[in-house]
Amino acid sequence: MRKALTAAVACAAVFFITSCASIQRSWDQGAVGQTAELINSGSAQKLYAMSASPFIIDGEVVPLTADVAGFWAGIVKAGFRVDAATFDTGTAVGADSYRQFADTMEARSFFARYVKDGTRILDFTTAMGAHIRLLVRSDWFSLRILGWKGPF
Amino acid sequence: MKRTAAILGFLFLGVMIASALPADITYVEGDASVRTKAGTLADAQIGDVLQTGDTLKTGHDGQATLDQRGVTINVAGSTVFTLMEHAQGGAITPVLSVALGSIKYKFNKIGGGAEPQIRTNGAIAGVRGTEFSVFAGADGSTLFAVDSGQITVESEGKSVDLAANEGVEVPLGKPPGDKITVHSDQIDYSKWNEDKLAAMVADPLTAMDNIDASLASYSMNVTDYAARFADSSKTLADDRGQRNSILSEKGKDAAATYQDQVITPLALNTGYLFLNTRYYALAALSMRRFVAGRLYVTLKAQFINDPQNAAWVSFLDRYSAFLRSFEELIIPQLVAADI
Repeated sequence: MRKALTAAVACAAVFFITSCASIQRSWDQGAVGQTAELINSGSAQKLYAMSASPFIIDGEVVPLTADVAGFWAGIVKAGFRVDAATFDTGTAVGADSYRQFADTMEARSFFARYVKDGTRILDFTTAMGAHIRLLVRSDWFSLRILGWKGPF
Repeated sequence: MKRTAAILGFLFLGVMIASALPADITYVEGDASVRTKAGTLADAQIGDVLQTGDTLKTGHDGQATLDQRGVTINVAGSTVFTLMEHAQGGAITPVLSVALGSIKYKFNKIGGGAEPQIRTNGAIAGVRGTEFSVFAGADGSTLFAVDSGQITVESEGKSVDLAANEGVEVPLGKPPGDKITVHSDQIDYSKWNEDKLAAMVADPLTAMDNIDASLASYSMNVTDYAARFADSSKTLADDRGQRNSILSEKGKDAAATYQDQVITPLALNTGYLFLNTRYYALAALSMRRFVAGRLYVTLKAQFINDPQNAAWVSFLDRYSAFLRSFEELIIPQLVAADI
């Protein structure tokens, strides 16, 4: 009886953990999909509205909201698309995550000051083979973009 | 870690020696926010007081008016304005820094305020009882236009005196140009700034020449003041040891005399050296953020579909070299709160 109960609890735990991982992966994929769709549809204004301030682009800390708006408008104007984006990885930010954007004091300070626990780093690949990295978090059930790196 | 502790220690000393000229926000409209010296961000409100090191940022639709003991400063939209301080001739000079955008400045001597310096990414202006406007462009250029009184604009070792209805443009990393006849109301900042940005994006390598020249100037000052600060700190530590010896050998009065005559002036001077090291490091950071960084982001978006483009690749080479110099020479004088 005891063995059966232990096994049931273990199964439930495994199921719970798997479900959580599955839910997280689903959220990550959704975030990538939503961002890709907005880029492909040229919705620079919506991307800007979803962007945090300050923002990080590669290793550049961007303190002005107008410049974040300018970046989204710029890539849309350049005709940039992320067709058939394939989600690669999603990881929670940790102490050294800043290195994934730039191994500098500025990137480290940006992460320490402005990136809260629960923020995620999402990597995806476009049909053209370009890799893009997003820094995102869930903000009252909506997506908040804090940073962009790539294509690389 | 030691360096950070030293910086924080002298930041505290800086607070003590600073002549702190705060500015009250008396009017605010639209998007306007304050970033304090400690790095916290908040919407700007009427009644807020800007302290030295604080930055007021206005959005496209924002504007604000500041009162600084007899000085009225109108901060236009899309402007980054910071209160700074610089030690000069054994005293603290307040510095109004315009990293981007424009301000209109009106000095009223009756109010008793100290005459400050005006700093942009590429120029310094000394003020003598005046009403004038400063326009800081996307490429680091500055346009000064005097409505009344007089200012002296200085850059790269050359200075120009401006009287009423005179103006001058100062390109980043270059001396002031020729004087022009102008009234500040005649200047369309948006148009002027758009032209500057377009020219910079059209010729990013020339823009990098100017950015490099500006960084070289800031770096020279940072290196010089940092070295003098290190020497002075060492002397100060030795003198404090000497005071302890005097205390044990000659008594309290002799130690107090030594403190007043040797240590206190040296401590003050050491604080000034630190203040100036930080001043030039923060000025370099401002130039890096609001000129170089913006150029990078603009070009990155422009060439995002064409990363092998020769113009983009050439720019990246130059930009990487610029970042290496910045990391090596400026970053050691900055702390996380500056970012």
